[in-house]
Amino acid sequence: MLPHRIFQRRPFLTLAVVFAVWLMLPLFVKRAMRISFFEMQAPVDLTASYVRDLQDYWALRTRSTNDLIAAGRDLARLNASYEMTLQQNATLHREVERLESVLKLPAFPEHRSEVARVARRDFNGWWQRLTLRKGRNFGITEGSPVIFTGGVVGRVSKVGLYTCEVEMISSPGFRLAATIEGDSRPISYQGGENPTLGPAKGIAEYVPLDILASLTAPKRIVTSGLGGVFPPGLAIGSLVRLEGSGDGLFKTGDVRLDSRLSEISEATILVPVKPAGY
Amino acid sequence: MRRSLTLFATLFLLWVTSAQINHYLSSLHASLFLGGLCVVFSALRLNRNEGLLTTFATGLLYDATSPLWFGCHALLFATAHMIVFRFRSRVPRDETLFPIVIGLLANLGIFFGVSFVAIHDLPTGVNPWPRLLADLLFSQVALVLAGPWFLRLQERCMEIAGVDLHLDQPGM
Repeated sequence: MLPHRIFQRRPFLTLAVVFAVWLMLPLFVKRAMRISFFEMQAPVDLTASYVRDLQDYWALRTRSTNDLIAAGRDLARLNASYEMTLQQNATLHREVERLESVLKLPAFPEHRSEVARVARRDFNGWWQRLTLRKGRNFGITEGSPVIFTGGVVGRVSKVGLYTCEVEMISSPGFRLAATIEGDSRPISYQGGENPTLGPAKGIAEYVPLDILASLTAPKRIVTSGLGGVFPPGLAIGSLVRLEGSGDGLFKTGDVRLDSRLSEISEATILVPVKPAGY
Repeated sequence: MRRSLTLFATLFLLWVTSAQINHYLSSLHASLFLGGLCVVFSALRLNRNEGLLTTFATGLLYDATSPLWFGCHALLFATAHMIVFRFRSRVPRDETLFPIVIGLLANLGIFFGVSFVAIHDLPTGVNPWPRLLADLLFSQVALVLAGPWFLRLQERCMEIAGVDLHLDQPGM
């Protein structure tokens, strides 16, 4: 009877051995395995992404010449407006540099922009992540902020040779120092619920009591620049609901994120540029 | 080893397909998880060690792109594999219905396992369960629809690779 019982339990003994071996496996072995499996998937993601681009290209080829002329005209108008903005930006940049040197202020950390296509979006109830088509081959570093036309996308959490992964601001574990636009007091932002068939939401905490926001009169929240990772002034979302927190000292509220985040196809990675002699 | 590699190739294909479907579903704020399908064939049709090796390697594939600790999916997959393997002599393995039911149960178990690991440190005030349960429902429906095709694909790939599965299943 005893050998039969042992035989019946053998699968679970094997499982216990697997657990024990895995827990005792040196960290460098696990790290090597993780990198190997990650790099094994990268070519698949890249290929699928390039195939999607090719599909888009052929879909665009079916457009009529009139559509292309109209798109070109719209782009020319946009370019003219961007030229103006660039000139204003250069003037403001010089002014900031002048004030920094006069007041002997520390300079804002500088970033190099790397525009990257999205290879894969992975949004579920557990996490919200993007895979971008640039990695160590473009000098991307872990922790770099990622932005798009609507504001903050997230931060780089993992870098491979040809791809990198971005933890998005809608991910429940994501935290960021923020401010209400036009107010210098810092608040805390964190990713919140991601309802099915609805836009992702965030949570704002430590909001001062005198701040009022509602669906009809939302308040825009932006990055504070505290922590030195994200430059100040980047849009995060809109504060659409506020209620008193448990301690009565602050308010807590819901943040509506940009709806385009769920269809994002291109993002910009802000790679920190180390100052000379660093 | 050949049967492990062949089966791993089919599971890699499943991972690629589900990742691409999830890419397109992201704009609808829904996602699919088909981890249960990764366990069924190896637990029901392969011998213990080769099946476990394949399932564990597939779990590592899932782990490589997840933010959870490395080995989380692999250990959950291995546990599901061993539970199915323990009771496989009691189910008709050659039929389509029972492997699908086992796949559904395995998917349910692995999904909840990953959920408990992933959400244990969520901030207060965040309730992820409505979204998770909706994703689970979509996943189970997708598993029922894709399961028979995928199991047949795995069987056919084994035939093409020249693997005789009956050697692993005495009495079948």
